[in-house]
This record gives sequence, structure tokens and C-alpha cells, in this order.
Amino acid sequence: MKRKTTLPAVFLIPPLIILAILAFVPTIAAVNIALQNRELSFPNSSYVWFANFIDLFGDRRFVNAIWISLIWEVVTVTATLVVAVLLAIFLFETASPRMRSLVSILFIIPVMLPRVSAAFVWKFMFNPLFGLINYPVKLLTGAPIDFLSLPATALASVAVVDVWQWGLFFSVIVLKLLETLPPQPFEAARLDNAKTWEVHFYIGIPMLAAPLISLVFVKMVESLRAFDLIYVMTRGGPGIATETLDMYAFSQGFVEAGKISYASSMAVLMMLATIITFTVLWKWVRKWQ
Amino acid sequence: MLRMSYCTALVSGVSLLVFANVANAQICTSTVRVLAQPRDSLTLLESYKDEFKKLSGASFEFDYLNENDRRAKSRAEAATTGKYNVYYIDEANVALFAESKWIVPLLEYYPADASYDDFDAGRKKVASYNGVAYFAPIQGGGDLLYYRKDVLEKAGITPPKTLDEYEAALAKLNDPAKGFYGTALRGGRGSGANVWRWMTYFKAFGGQWFVDGKPAFNSDAAVKATETYLRLFQYSAPGTQTGSWTEVTEAFNSGNVAMIIESSPLAGQTEDPKQSSVAGKVGYTVPPRPLVGGGYGHGLAIGAKANADDAARKCAGAFIAWATSKQNEERRLERGIFGDINRTSVINSDAFKQKYGAEIGNALNETAQYTDVNFWVNADWPDLGDRWGIILEELITGTRTDIKGGLDELEAYANKLIARR
Repeated sequence: MKRKTTLPAVFLIPPLIILAILAFVPTIAAVNIALQNRELSFPNSSYVWFANFIDLFGDRRFVNAIWISLIWEVVTVTATLVVAVLLAIFLFETASPRMRSLVSILFIIPVMLPRVSAAFVWKFMFNPLFGLINYPVKLLTGAPIDFLSLPATALASVAVVDVWQWGLFFSVIVLKLLETLPPQPFEAARLDNAKTWEVHFYIGIPMLAAPLISLVFVKMVESLRAFDLIYVMTRGGPGIATETLDMYAFSQGFVEAGKISYASSMAVLMMLATIITFTVLWKWVRKWQ
Repeated sequence: MLRMSYCTALVSGVSLLVFANVANAQICTSTVRVLAQPRDSLTLLESYKDEFKKLSGASFEFDYLNENDRRAKSRAEAATTGKYNVYYIDEANVALFAESKWIVPLLEYYPADASYDDFDAGRKKVASYNGVAYFAPIQGGGDLLYYRKDVLEKAGITPPKTLDEYEAALAKLNDPAKGFYGTALRGGRGSGANVWRWMTYFKAFGGQWFVDGKPAFNSDAAVKATETYLRLFQYSAPGTQTGSWTEVTEAFNSGNVAMIIESSPLAGQTEDPKQSSVAGKVGYTVPPRPLVGGGYGHGLAIGAKANADDAARKCAGAFIAWATSKQNEERRLERGIFGDINRTSVINSDAFKQKYGAEIGNALNETAQYTDVNFWVNADWPDLGDRWGIILEELITGTRTDIKGGLDELEAYANKLIARR
């Protein structure tokens, strides 16, 4: 006879309550502030309900920030995964196990650097007067390129740093995943004279579909939090060319205007958009799998 | 008899000193917390912590943030928790802090014998809001034209006295192929960055922020100022299009630039061989006419929330008085911290003249007559100035080209700001 026990409830309920408080209290507070007209320089505020949300859609910087955030998300996630898979396959095919271990250690170092430090190092490297990157550029063209001040190159330059940190780290994960795969399907394909790219494109990558999708989700979440990198390297500039939603929300809330209700309304919209996007993608991936 | 009087006087004097120390030792009961931006003068103060402790009975602690972050954090912090006893504030946000009552009038708690009147008149002006002084200056000044004497001499150019001469000289001296540039301008966003420099042109062409209480800055003067500023960027060193003070001064001090118009504290850095490769090669004079130099000042103010009672405010006042005292300014002079000298008694001293020579002193005295408060003295200035900073950065970097459209956008924003007050 099965005896009912309350033990699972004893262990589960307290952490669930803590999690609920941690998740819902700030969320409810953010929604509450978003419905008001609170500004840091005014002691009083009142409810304006959806006025902040309506104002947002007439704000060109907000519309621009949505667009920049989307580009940033697509570019950094795609580039990180492409770099990671290509590097992993290259190492898997060409390097000895000892060399792979050594390279793996080197590839993990960038992601261990604090984002702000990485951003400062690269910002200096991109400097048109003293930067290392501009040294060969000046030798070849006679003039430096101000990568972080040009609208055409600023976002891509910051994305390079993001991919440098995460692409190399993910390549180590993909490499370790490749090493865990059974060798038989690879050997069979090679016996059938399959080329290296065909072996990986038709066998290796499909076998790693599930973990690769997990990596995509991890990187999507991580890319949403690129604030520190962009803040240090460009502060959203030139103009508003690299101003993502979190940058603009921070700017409105704390840097320029002190409009914390307006900033909160952006945060609430971002949260809703993220929840909807991730839910749809998750369901689509599960269906596809 | 004489000996006895002498002994009595000595005993009285010692007793007075002891009493004064005991009295002083009771001024502060807890550590004075200061939110500041890094300045050599503040770092120097930290090496005299014991001196303040002896005077007041407590120590002090600085939390440093760079200028933009300090502005953002101090506004958010003062409006919410308000845990800092002393805030480092500047001319651009004194109106906001004073109007929001995040700081208290300084002179009510600043000891009379600390001689507030000794500070430079321009700095006292920007430290006040509605005629009430709110901070004691740590740094400040006006604008100077910094030029490479060797480069101008070689090119046969005399230091430009008008804007037309200045532009002609820049065109002649600019040589990007050799990695040498005519000037370095602030292009990066911010009321204290690109807008700060742009305002000198705006005021030079007769621009006004408001006329009869209504925004008036989408005027011909503003358009001309913007066109001129954008045109000068063709001679500005790479990296300055989105850069500010740091990028501009680095470009000049590294020897890649012929002339810059910048705030006066730079002279100290420029003449310091440890920080500058052009030390001894630079000339100093007033900015070309009709530019109106931007008077500015940063300093220490007493926080309202963290100092809830008079005793706490007196302690904060005592700290500020000590930190900005003549004795500490003399220490700065001795260490070559030129930018943080604000007292007329120190600026006019023989030690100052001996250290920096007559040329800088004369330029400083001369530029005072061409210096003014260029920004809109209002609590909404940081917001409006930063909004224009973004639009101006867009124009400088070419992500937008419509000057008039940008100014119209700014005027619409100003109207919104005024309507909500």
C-alpha cells in the first residue's frame, strides 16, 4: 500500500515561494511603474495608464531600438553558432587530442574575461590613432578607419567582440560534443567516399541537433543582455546606430531624462516580446524535433 | 612677572587648541560618504585622511564613477535612497539638484572662516542657483585656444584671432596623409560633451535658448552654429566624431593635432611631460572671436537625505570646507594639479606664477572676459542638452543630415518638457 508523504511539498514549496517572490515582485513593480508618470526629479506621480506605451510607438528612437535589437540578436546568434561549428569541425578533423585540449583552454579564456574589460580592450584596439587593428589598415590604405564611429561598421565591430567571446567558447562545447558521438556513422560515410563537409553536414550536425538548439537558446538569452558591451564601446552611437532597447531604456531612465516610468514601459514591452518569441520558438522547435 | 604672563598665555593657548580640537573632534560622528568622479585632487585628499579625522572626529570615503556614470548614478541615488553625505555635482545639474531639494544651500553649513569668497567669481557663479551657492568648487574654468607653437611657426601662421582665421589655419595645417590633423573636436553625445563645444558657436552667433519663455533655438544662429561645427569636423582627428574630452585631449597631447579650443584645466596636463608629448611646445591664448567660452565648475555639495539634521549637515559642510581649503589647494599646486585650483589667492600667488609661467596666467586672466554661462540654467537642462547631444552626434556622424529638422525635433521636445512643469 502506498503511503502518502508530504516530503516533496516540504522541499518544493519554500524554494517555489522564493522563486515566485523573486520573479513576480519586480515584474509587478515594473508594470505598476510603467502605468504611471514617475520621473526621478519629481517627488509625486500619478497613473497615466497606457500613455507611456502609446508615446513609445511615436518615438523614433524606440522604433530604431527595436530594429537594432533585432539585428543584434540575429547577427550575434547566427555568427556565434556558425563560428563555433566551423571551428569545432576544423579542430575535430585536423588537431590531435592533445592539441585540441590546449586550444580548448585558449578558446575559453575570452569568455572568462569580464564583459566590461573585454569591451575596453577592444575599444582601444579599434582606436583610429593608436589601435592595433588600425595599424595594418593605415599601412594598406594610408588612412585609419574609425570603426566605432562609422554607422556602417559600428554595430558589426561590437558584434565581433561578442562573437570572439562566445563563438570560441561554444566551439569548445561543440568540439566536446563531436568527440562524444559514436564513430561508426562517420566511418561508414567515409567508406562511401563522402567528403568531410558532407560527413558533418549530413551526419555530425544532425546528430547534434538537440544540443545545438539548446546553445541557440542560451545565446539568444545572452545576446539580449549585451548592454555592458555596447555601453562601453559605443554608448549606443554613432547617433543611435547601436542603441538597443535596453540601452535606450537605461538612457531614458537614468542617463538623460530620469523618466523611470517611460523606461519601465519599454522594459515591460521587452519582457512581453521575449516571452512570446521564446514560447513560439520553443514550441516550433519541439514540433520540428 | 613677564615669565608668568608668558606661561599663562602659553597654557591658555594650549588649552584653546586642545578645546578647539575636542570641539572639532565632535563635528562628525560617522564616516562622510562622498559620491564623486575621479580627480587627482580628490585622490590627494585621501592621503590626508588622518588630518580630517583629527579635525572632525571621523573619516571619509569616496565612491568614484566617471563623469557620465556619476551624473546618472547621483541623480538616481539622490532621488531614491540618498545615502551619500556629499555629492560631486557640476554646473549642468546644480539646478536640478537644488530644485529637487536633493542638496541644501552650502553657506548655511560652510564655516565662515573657510573663505568661500576667495573662490574665482566665475566658479561661484556656476555653483549657484537662483543666487544661492550650492557647491564649493573642485575644478572649473573657461576656454583657451591651445596651439602648437612649433607647427604654427613652421607654417608661418600666427595664432588666429577670429573664427575665419581659425578655419583658414585649420585647412592649412590639416594633413591626414601624414597622420596630423588641424584640430580635435568633441563629437560624442552629451550636454557636457559635443553640446558644450557647440554652444560656444551658438552663443557667438547670437543664439538664445528661450525668448519670452518660449524655446527659440531652432533659429538661424543655431543652424549657422551647427553648420560651422560640422564643417570644422573635416579637420578633426579620427576618433573624435564620437569622442569627448578624453579623445580630444589624448589626440592633442600625443602630438597629432595643431590646435584645439578646450577647457582651461587641460593646460596642466599639456605641460606635464608624463602625460603629454607636447609639453613646452604649446602656446595659450583666448579662443578666436566671436566664440564665447563656456564657463564651468564642478564641486562638492551637501546631500539632503543622508544629512537629516543640522549636526550631520555641519559635518558635511566641515568636510567640504576642509577638502576645498586654501591649504589643500596649495598642496594641489605643489603636486601640479593645475585643473583643480579655484581660489584667487592661490591663482594670483607667486608660487603659481613660478610654476606655470606668465603665459598661462595671462591667458587665464584674459579669457575670463570672453567666458559666460552658455547653457540654459534650468533643472531640465541635462535632459534637453543630452537630447540635443544625440541629434548633434547623428549629424556629425552622418546618420542624419537635416539640421533644421533636428532643431525642430529639439524644440518640440523642449515644449513637452516645459508643459509638464
